[in-house]
Amino acid sequence: MTALRNIRAIGRREVEVRIRTRSFLVGTLLLVLGVIAIAFLPVIIGHFDRTDTTRVAVVADEPAVGAQAKATIEALLNPSAGAGATTPGSQPDVTVTIESDLAAARRQAADGQLAGVLGIARAADGSLAFTYYSNDGAAGRSTAELRLAANSIAMADRLGRLGVSGAQAAALFAPVDLAVAWPDPTRTDPVRNVAASVGQDMLAFGMTILIFMIIIMYGNWVAMSVVEEKASRVMEVILNAATPYQLLAGKVFGVGVVAFVQYAAVIAGGVVSLQLQPAVASQVLGSTGAGDLTQGLTPALLLLFGLYGVLGFLLYAALYAAAGSLVSRQEDVNAAVMPMTLISTAGYMVGVYASTGLLDSRSPAITVLSVVPFLSPFMMLGRAATGVAQPWEVVLSLALLVGSIALAIWVAARIYAAGVLLYGQRPGMRAVWRLLREGM
Amino acid sequence: MALEVDRLRKRFGAVQALDGVSLRVEPGQIFGFLGSNGAGKTTTMRIVLSLMRPDDGTVTWDGRPAHAWPRRIWGYMPEERGLYARMAVIDQLVHFATLYGVTRAAARKAALDWLARFRIAEHAGRRLETLSKGNQQKVQFIATILHEPDVLLMDEPFVGLDPINVKMLRSALLELRDRGRTIVFSTHQLEQAEALCDSVAIIDHGRIVTSGPTREVRRSTGHRVVRVAMESGDAGWLGEMEGVTVTRGGADYTEARVAPGVDPQAVLRAAVRRGPVLRLEVADPSLEEVFVELVGAIEAEEQTLAPGAGA
Repeated sequence: MTALRNIRAIGRREVEVRIRTRSFLVGTLLLVLGVIAIAFLPVIIGHFDRTDTTRVAVVADEPAVGAQAKATIEALLNPSAGAGATTPGSQPDVTVTIESDLAAARRQAADGQLAGVLGIARAADGSLAFTYYSNDGAAGRSTAELRLAANSIAMADRLGRLGVSGAQAAALFAPVDLAVAWPDPTRTDPVRNVAASVGQDMLAFGMTILIFMIIIMYGNWVAMSVVEEKASRVMEVILNAATPYQLLAGKVFGVGVVAFVQYAAVIAGGVVSLQLQPAVASQVLGSTGAGDLTQGLTPALLLLFGLYGVLGFLLYAALYAAAGSLVSRQEDVNAAVMPMTLISTAGYMVGVYASTGLLDSRSPAITVLSVVPFLSPFMMLGRAATGVAQPWEVVLSLALLVGSIALAIWVAARIYAAGVLLYGQRPGMRAVWRLLREGM
Repeated sequence: MALEVDRLRKRFGAVQALDGVSLRVEPGQIFGFLGSNGAGKTTTMRIVLSLMRPDDGTVTWDGRPAHAWPRRIWGYMPEERGLYARMAVIDQLVHFATLYGVTRAAARKAALDWLARFRIAEHAGRRLETLSKGNQQKVQFIATILHEPDVLLMDEPFVGLDPINVKMLRSALLELRDRGRTIVFSTHQLEQAEALCDSVAIIDHGRIVTSGPTREVRRSTGHRVVRVAMESGDAGWLGEMEGVTVTRGGADYTEARVAPGVDPQAVLRAAVRRGPVLRLEVADPSLEEVFVELVGAIEAEEQTLAPGAGA
């Protein structure tokens, strides 16, 4: 009764003091704007890409080859050109002009009026020889695109010389459909399409970043708040009224609520943006673009994000509070929270490497690590989203997380109880161990 | 029903902070806890409040262990003042009181009453850090007593207050005592203790040197004090008497300490024989004199703005 009342009162103060500050408002606003910007990134990139037309000139010995090259380049490098006339108001990515004066065209390319000039000459053996004159050099973007186009031009030219008609050539290059199925014949869940799995991957990746930010940022808040009370000696006044355990729980709870409010705003901004993305894309780009992220946003993924975010925060926040209680000055906080920072960063890095494919997310080591309590909040989400982790792995990691939170709070409360009244000393590992054993 | 501290011992590393401290504070009294810096006052208070565990010894209030009582019977004003610098005065007062179970509405009303009484009502909505040190200290005091604790422990409550605020705090303490509260405060300003305390204890190096009702402690050395003012203005002869030491010579009067076994009345008779007398007084030694005699010169922990106001 008393305990709950005090935990509530301490948590309430934490929330009121933090939410009222200008920095909280500004910070939340920036985070929401940031997440909206990220959600609309595909649309934004598409928008800028669209207005950025690459102009290329073709100089060919034979007019037929020149016309063929122009048609091939424009068809190949402008995705929407296949539909015939381009949408009003939208410009093609690449425009091609046929020139006869190579020297003049090269001057224009040198001045930057053209991205480059593709020179095509018929060699003695009948094959086409291509030279690309461009300031982009051998590795530039237009060079890479033109290399691709040149291949197709040469291929069409060879087919033409072999007597294959245009229609036959088109049939030759028609794409095939590759069916994908699970190797396990008893597995019945459908294989997700490319858009959904790419979207879910990206979302899980973004959520892992958010969880990492929540833990580092709000964990530090908890530690700072503890040290602030210690430095200002409010601690002694409060400890007369409340137990260290209540103080710790209230603080973690209060900062947790603040974190929840801030991230609810961020997530709401993100979800709404993702829902709006296809509509906005069709308005701005004239096409719906890839709705990858929208398709990947499933209730299950959101639930897992919430669970790992909240449980991960509780686990780390308790220890951040304990670390804060060991030092007396704000300057010493960073050193005290170093272990938590190192462990969470390590978990985050491994999680990111695994989800980007730098590490094999199916390897036994990653499988084991992703169940370990301090690491699972950063590692399991990505594995669960891609379907690599079995359901029992997810359940096990959550169970271990809950168990370790209970343990962490017990340990933290003891360190906290002993640490809050230690002034001026900087306890090392041995002192911390002694505090744990003796309690006070 | 009394606060009883029994043979407390506490060691910090190589330092024996408390070496068998025993005290008895009668309920409804103001009790002064006197000692130099590091004598063990703060440690004793923290143990009484269960903020720290003793290595040995017990603390009871009304026969029950101190830690078994609900927290709301205790009020504590630490020596290092502790408030939230960036929180509004009224908000933090309400916060502290709610931790002891006072409702927010009742806490707000009581806090405003006390702020008005200490003449800082206009600061209620301001952030604490904008207040002067003296005013912050008054806020600290209010934070200590809003939940109406039965036992009030205060560590150096008068340090840093100007004479007017010292007067306000003293009248507040006397009022709380008259309402039946038990008050313990530590100080090194012995004039404050002398003027305010029903009982005192002197602690030095973790041991109680003497304790009891203030009057008995003042008499505990066996010395008496005489103050003499002669019309001639010359009282130098006092120092020539057997067992009499002049402790203060002045234009207005001369003060002398009379050793145990010497009758102060003999000094008075000698004065009358010397000529016309303007003032003759026999008194107990001040606490400061007793302290100096028992412990040695007191180390000032902090120079105060209030040089014994009203003493």
